[in-house]
Amino acid sequence: MSHWFSDNPHIRTTTIEWLQNGLFSVLVFLILGGSVFASSGNTIIVGSKNFLENRLLAEMFAQLIEAHTTLTVERRLGLAGTHICFQALTTGGIDLYPEYTGTGLVTILGDPPMHDPTAVLNRVRSEFRKRWNLWWLAPLGFDNSYALALRRDRAHTLNIRTITDLAHVAPTLKAAFGYEFIQRADGLPGLKELYGLQFHKVVGMQQSLKYQATDNGDVDVLDVYTTDGRLAVYDFVILEDDRHFFPPYDATALVRGSTLEQHPELGKVLSLLTNALSPARMRELNLRIQERGEAIPHVAYDALRALHLVEDDDQVTTTTKNESTSFLSYMWERRSTLIAQTGEHLGLAGVGLLLGIALAIPLALFLERWRKGAETIIRVIGMSQTIPSIALLAFMIPLFGVGVLPAIMALWIYSLYPILRNTYSGLRDAAPSVVETGRALGMTEWQILRSVRLPLAAPTIMAGIRTSAIWTVGTATLAAFIGAGGLGVPIVAGLQLADMQLILSGALPATILALCVDGLLGGIERLVRPRGLEVSQ
Amino acid sequence: MTHTWELEVRQLSKRFPDGTCALQDINWSVKQGETMALIGESGSGKTTLLRLLNRLAEPSSGAIFIQGHPASDQDPIALRRRLGYVPQDGGLFPHWTIRDNICLVPQLLQWPIHQQHDRLNTLLTLVNLDPGQVANRYPIELSGGQRQRVAVARALAADPPIILLDEPFSALDPLTRHELQEQFLELKTQLQKTMVVITHDMTEAFRLGDRITVLKDGCIHQIGTPQELIDTPATPYVTSLVQHI
Repeated sequence: MSHWFSDNPHIRTTTIEWLQNGLFSVLVFLILGGSVFASSGNTIIVGSKNFLENRLLAEMFAQLIEAHTTLTVERRLGLAGTHICFQALTTGGIDLYPEYTGTGLVTILGDPPMHDPTAVLNRVRSEFRKRWNLWWLAPLGFDNSYALALRRDRAHTLNIRTITDLAHVAPTLKAAFGYEFIQRADGLPGLKELYGLQFHKVVGMQQSLKYQATDNGDVDVLDVYTTDGRLAVYDFVILEDDRHFFPPYDATALVRGSTLEQHPELGKVLSLLTNALSPARMRELNLRIQERGEAIPHVAYDALRALHLVEDDDQVTTTTKNESTSFLSYMWERRSTLIAQTGEHLGLAGVGLLLGIALAIPLALFLERWRKGAETIIRVIGMSQTIPSIALLAFMIPLFGVGVLPAIMALWIYSLYPILRNTYSGLRDAAPSVVETGRALGMTEWQILRSVRLPLAAPTIMAGIRTSAIWTVGTATLAAFIGAGGLGVPIVAGLQLADMQLILSGALPATILALCVDGLLGGIERLVRPRGLEVSQ
Repeated sequence: MTHTWELEVRQLSKRFPDGTCALQDINWSVKQGETMALIGESGSGKTTLLRLLNRLAEPSSGAIFIQGHPASDQDPIALRRRLGYVPQDGGLFPHWTIRDNICLVPQLLQWPIHQQHDRLNTLLTLVNLDPGQVANRYPIELSGGQRQRVAVARALAADPPIILLDEPFSALDPLTRHELQEQFLELKTQLQKTMVVITHDMTEAFRLGDRITVLKDGCIHQIGTPQELIDTPATPYVTSLVQHI
């Protein structure tokens, strides 16, 4: 299923909107001639959503392809949710990613939920092929559906076994659900309708936090994924879906038709995984990543080896979390990764900011000469700031695929407004009487701009650049959602694993980076501040 | 009659886009070497007249002649460099030193550096400032009176034949104002420039002006020497003004 890592309520899209998006994507793809995408040649780009099971499956696909073909595999793992993955797939930003039949049916096609797994698979297969030339391969053998769960002792006390039982006592209970679950037709709204569920209180919560909250007794009921490894750790009871509400979510690879045509061996290799993974096996694999902190590539390799699908050589050493290490030594161990991620982060933010400066300042100079349209244009650009980051990233995918390019474009758009607004206001309001005197003494407009307006506006312009820089460094953590790397990677991964050290190992450098950038620009701001604007000591 | 006026305007009118009429059919002239005081309330059109002279604004109708040549035929930038200008607050560039401020027009005219330097020393001395002390300072480090002297020096820098002064001393305290007026009179005799001084203070107009133009609501009520204004005021408005002397 499509576990979005997003608190964005804009999840349900109608079929018509999807069609429009599809048309738009095709159009853009034709215009750009597909040149920006790497889906040509002998490179296969494997994508995944940003939750562990999906990453694990994608990693298994990748290793399988590497082991059995001569193709080069590029990984774009951890894309932010169904919409972004799907957009990337239709536009050729990626060639394949692991998807779930129920998500295809309900979230992508916008159809009402269906119960029969075969019917769902047949429906998505024919529709996806017809509409987008996308192919659903044979299911991998497990169904990762939603389920409702309670702590065992709590279920026992309340004497609940099925969701129908739950409906009787629900008005006294508190529930913690994922943000997506609260919104989806095949989530809470549908459950309410079918079972008449009415909770005392429903709180939206991050996946990994729900388990802790339920275990602590802060909430009574939570939604779980049936293959979640944590179910093997926490003593929870899964309630029987006695009226068969939850649609089947059979996992498999969703692949571009054109890629299969170009590399027919790909379909054969990936079908080696048909029915290879049982739900219990998935829970076990997920658990190793979630709770024992084993690296995804290692777990993927182990799983493939157990299926005799990869050679028994090049053993990867097990890296498990060492709880006893202090945070500092933890950071020290991760230093090379962190330095690389900090570099990526700075690169993304830096390029975004430089592009922002390169566009906003000339635009402000132009608008200062053409004030009639200035406020309108600045306001329109200001509106771009209100687009939620995830949504903006999603808009970028049909245009620029996934990876570094769309991230930079999004950061560019975010960086524009503060620089534009400050430069324009600074130039316009720079000491009007002084400007008038310059004019009266025979300075040309260009000389006034260069010698009077710009120097007097410099501190205001720098303040705008500074605001923009902090904002860009902060926002660049979101680049992890579309596979562009940076310090967002450990933050996002840490959130999934509920690993505070991992989160901090990304958040702390990001904060320090923001402070350093601010300090540096503050210094520049003092340098460009013309002497004479304040009494020298 | 071919007597050339240094400044002359004929049937000059200025209407703003919003319909208000700042000047109505003005005929007005200034002789070479003469100081003309322009007096009137705010909104009388005196600043508009000044802005029309250096082409910061364009007339709605009528003609302006600078040293006998139509202003409209001249490049506005070149014209402004030949007209010195002193605004009310001095209008010094806050981020430039006194040296740079004074050398603005010579620099625009691309004078050689040593000539600019000589001129700077001459001018600062002329306005009673010590070049060694103030040349490298910033405007904010000077007093209001000193700043206004620098503004006068800047207007004189490229030795323009005509100087326009827009309420040059009105922002100063009475003592400083009096002192600067005295110095202005000395400079006037010394330099023999053609000057137009805007003021709203009749006493100042009487002290500085060889002749006085009384403006009200965009019309000229009288042009004359101080004595003529006292002896034969042309309108009741002029009478009311001279009563306060």
